[in-house]
Amino acid sequence: MAEVEKKEVAAATPPWKPKPRPIVRLGIVLISHSLLVSVVCCTAGVVALFLLPMLAKNTYISENALMPGSASSMLSNDDISEAERLAKDLTSLNSGAADAGIERRRVLAKYLSDLGVEVGYHKFEPHQNQFHPLHFFSSPDSGLSRENGSCSSYGINVVGIIRAPQADGKEAIVLVTPFNFRKNSSSEALSISIGYAVFSLLSRVTWLAKDIIWLVADSQYGEYASVASWLRDYHIPVFSASSSHNADSCFEGNNINLLREESLDRTEISSGFRRAGTMAAALVLKVTDVKGQLEDTLSVYAEASNGQMPNLDLINVVNYLAVHRQGLRVKVEKFLSVLRWEWIWVLGDTLNFIGKVAGSLNPEWKFGISTPDYVEGTATLANSLYRQALGIPTGPHGAFRDFQVDAITLEISPKVVYTNQGRRNEFILRSARLIEGVVRSVNNLLEKFHQSFFLYLLTSPAKFVSVGVYMIGFALLVAPLPLVAASLYVDANKPDPSSQGPKHKLQINFKPWKWLSAAKQVFTVHAWGVFVSLLPYFISQIPNSTPAAHSIIWFSLSTFGLLVLYLITKSHSKPQKGEWENLKSVTISVVFIGLLLMSVVNFATAQIGALVLVPACLLAQPLKLDIRDASLKSFLRIACNVFISFVAFPPVGFFVLKGVNEGFGDMDVGEFWTWLESLWAWNSATYIYIGMVHLPCWVLCLHILLHSC
Amino acid sequence: MATANTEEEKSKSEQQKNHGGGGGFTRWAVLAVIFRLILIYFPGNLNLSSRPEVSTPLTSIRRLAEGYWLKQSSMSPYAGSMYHGSPLLLSVLGPLTVKRTILTYSVANAELKGSLVTFYAVGCSLVFVLADLISGILIRATGWKLQMTYRKSLKSLNLLNKSTDSGGLSSGDIAALVYLWNPFTIVACVGLSTSPVENLFTILTLYGAATGIAPLAAFGWVMATHLSLYPAILIIPVILLLGYGPDAPPSKLFRSKENGKVGDDTSSQDIIFSWGRVLHLLVWTSMWSVYVLVLCSISVKQHSSLQEMFQRTYGFILTVEDLSPNIGVLWYFFAEVFDFFRDFFLIVFHSNILFMILPLAIRLKHRPCFLAFVYIAISSMLKSYPSVGDPALYLGLLGLFLDELADMQFSFFLFCGYVGVSLLSPVMHNLWIWRGTGNANFYYATAMAYACFQIVLVVESVSSMLNHDRKLMKLSASKLQK
Repeated sequence: MAEVEKKEVAAATPPWKPKPRPIVRLGIVLISHSLLVSVVCCTAGVVALFLLPMLAKNTYISENALMPGSASSMLSNDDISEAERLAKDLTSLNSGAADAGIERRRVLAKYLSDLGVEVGYHKFEPHQNQFHPLHFFSSPDSGLSRENGSCSSYGINVVGIIRAPQADGKEAIVLVTPFNFRKNSSSEALSISIGYAVFSLLSRVTWLAKDIIWLVADSQYGEYASVASWLRDYHIPVFSASSSHNADSCFEGNNINLLREESLDRTEISSGFRRAGTMAAALVLKVTDVKGQLEDTLSVYAEASNGQMPNLDLINVVNYLAVHRQGLRVKVEKFLSVLRWEWIWVLGDTLNFIGKVAGSLNPEWKFGISTPDYVEGTATLANSLYRQALGIPTGPHGAFRDFQVDAITLEISPKVVYTNQGRRNEFILRSARLIEGVVRSVNNLLEKFHQSFFLYLLTSPAKFVSVGVYMIGFALLVAPLPLVAASLYVDANKPDPSSQGPKHKLQINFKPWKWLSAAKQVFTVHAWGVFVSLLPYFISQIPNSTPAAHSIIWFSLSTFGLLVLYLITKSHSKPQKGEWENLKSVTISVVFIGLLLMSVVNFATAQIGALVLVPACLLAQPLKLDIRDASLKSFLRIACNVFISFVAFPPVGFFVLKGVNEGFGDMDVGEFWTWLESLWAWNSATYIYIGMVHLPCWVLCLHILLHSC
Repeated sequence: MATANTEEEKSKSEQQKNHGGGGGFTRWAVLAVIFRLILIYFPGNLNLSSRPEVSTPLTSIRRLAEGYWLKQSSMSPYAGSMYHGSPLLLSVLGPLTVKRTILTYSVANAELKGSLVTFYAVGCSLVFVLADLISGILIRATGWKLQMTYRKSLKSLNLLNKSTDSGGLSSGDIAALVYLWNPFTIVACVGLSTSPVENLFTILTLYGAATGIAPLAAFGWVMATHLSLYPAILIIPVILLLGYGPDAPPSKLFRSKENGKVGDDTSSQDIIFSWGRVLHLLVWTSMWSVYVLVLCSISVKQHSSLQEMFQRTYGFILTVEDLSPNIGVLWYFFAEVFDFFRDFFLIVFHSNILFMILPLAIRLKHRPCFLAFVYIAISSMLKSYPSVGDPALYLGLLGLFLDELADMQFSFFLFCGYVGVSLLSPVMHNLWIWRGTGNANFYYATAMAYACFQIVLVVESVSSMLNHDRKLMKLSASKLQK
């Protein structure tokens, strides 16, 4: 916009003024060719997005101190057989009995205290996620109110802590295995086996520099809730007497079982909360049964809330050890539907061909990528973008990121359900050695993870796109916005030669402030956006209603609000010259600020949002003008405008995306509500983006389209 | 900003309906107060008083409470480098904060505690709301006075015509509403920083000087300087205001007009510097200073001394001891600079402000109020612990010169910049402090961008003011030639 003003200056340059400086002239040239520039930039931005799988680099271990795989594993078969004994003891308990859960905890605690480690129970009440739009800007604890919930539901985690023999106890590594104490599940027992095998080894070794915490998280109310509440209690001690009193009375009064359990326990098991030092890293270990696999696989989940990722080195270490030491197949989640798209394969073929041609011209140019690799990379990248954009953690590791701890979930799935004990032991050995290796690497760390990337997208377990690369595509995509805003502003505020007042009178015109009325409209619509995004908080309080009813109430209230606003602010005067240009200019500026902000908060959301909003904003032009014009170009523009503004409406966009992925079979209006509810329940910034940037800008684009100029 | 400007627009249309009169202004001012009270009702959710943008070491209410607690327990309020404000502020605001903190910890029952905390938080912030309201009213009065002078001087130059009356809307009203509805002012007020009080005294100085009440101007200046040191440089605009009277076109204009019409010496009265009022001001200033110093020494004499007070307030401001991040540019620099260069750079940075005083005073001596605005903007850019209260003050004052700055360049660019930076800065802070994925450079980048926007604002407003003067010259010259 600076350039606009400079252009204005230049336009009105009296003869004695010198030529503007080169940078100003460059700005003037860019603004005067804003149409060409924006077409080129937008195309380049979209192309750059599709080139990302090609530009992905191989991962490498950046922190030297990690030294993965440099020590040989110390895990022996004794550990495994001991772990299997524990697993048998746990599974042999009758799952139907009411106190099976308590009995299992007791067995586990006994095994742990036999190892000579500190054991503790952690009781928690599962919290319902609440709507806190301001949560993002505050510390992790400020949004959480410790209100008295009902005492009927609670969970108990079992925590074992190994104190490092020669360390000062200021740092710790956390292992988490979700386990439902109430249910008998062979895969969960397997994960307990692996966890116990590693833990029993670590309780004997001498090289520990950090304490090891093993959290067996009670997953009956969800894996995330138990880990999150344990972390909260770990980091935010309660000093006030009143609230802890409440919690205790709850447990004591309502729970006889627990008391009995306490009396059964031996004296070493403390009931107080046990802590170790600050957490260097956390690994969440899960075993799942997936049918029809060719080999044992390890899936890595890393996305935490608001698209935050753990340090790339943690994933690198896991990947390196799993592939090169334990021979596991590592995979990250991908969109399977992308693999079915014909045009992606065609694109992959084309890129492959271009790469080959370039390679034949100059063997130095090695940017070719094989078609299947490209398609796989695109599918993974698409999933990576989608998961980050949602802002919902993909597993219990998400809770750690809220306290700045790097954590990932490792989901190991065996090839078949093992019946043979020997094969089963081998599987446990491999998995446990992987965990041991990772723990040993992290144990070597001198500082927090800081060396490698925090901002990246994965295209395969061993390939990533760093922030410096993917930002280029985004920057190209949004670069036209300030240019077009500037050129529109200049057009709208051109000095009008006909309306110049008499020279000898002092003319105070507020022309340079004409954008204020457009800014007022934009502000009003954004205030409406805030209103719309706060509505679900009140609507969700309505008892006994379905998601579909919620969506309909929400939709009608929002529309009503918009109508009221329109009637209040409607101006009866004839539209002035340059009014819609000013409005569009301010809208585009606001979109630019919003996208910029969002790219800092959650890049993936901004990227996906920009793909929709940028063309919508740039193309918007009053339909009346286009109809009056009646040329091929204007009809094309009308078609584009109508299509984009239809798709950019959030519910429509949601259903279209869902239909593309899963087929247009059964659609329910309530699904959109459920989806958004999950967003706000997880404090996702994407919800705020949709409510306060996307929706208002969509309304403003519609307003410009229907403008009566 | 967004609110301020759109509200201003709304008030414009309101005003046009009312055909002038104070109805629109009163309504919007009352609404601004109600809006603040509503925000004060939800203090927990906003958590503004711990934001680095709002509470600096000088303006934080928590530090004030700490200082008062130290004083109550028979220690120097300046012990332990917590409190760095005035002892008078401690005596006035301290009792409000201390009741609040004691009750927070003593009352066991959670619900009762909640209600009492709210009550005393309201008690404390009501003072700030009141300060904001009075500031708004004073700005309006100053604007009215400035506009009268402007009209008068235009009339004496025969330049006044119908189009100069901008539709029954006075710039004073706009300035006051911009001040009251500026999100920066609201945040500073609701976030319980002491800057509304400091701003009040600065505005009081300008009001007193513009209306020619020397004792009031002297009192405002002494108090403002005592509270935050930087308003000390306002003594030059205040002297000019009292000497020459409020802002007018350059004196050359009147002189040339006088030459044109030989024998008419009525207008030559306007440009005489009245030494009497300035002497009056200086006498009052010294009296008020002695009075404030005596009050301070009474207040601190039990546990500390006046020397310690100067060290811990002015010394703290000038030596930039606290390097916790804020929206200014000095903290990062002094965190990085080598210790043996520190004194040198302290001198360089502080003399930056002093260097600009004289040239600006010479160039803008016919517009002392505008000069005061420029001084305030520059010092808020270069001061050691800036908070959002400072831009709130100078953006409010900017509204006073609406007629002169009507064709200011870059207004839209600056508006977008201020909005963008004030949204981006908390996000960067979050990225650095809470997420750990960013670092100090991210946050400092927004501080630098903010400083750049302030520079552009100052440069553009000064140049458009000078252009306005040139335009007046040209017009009156063409009139004389006829």
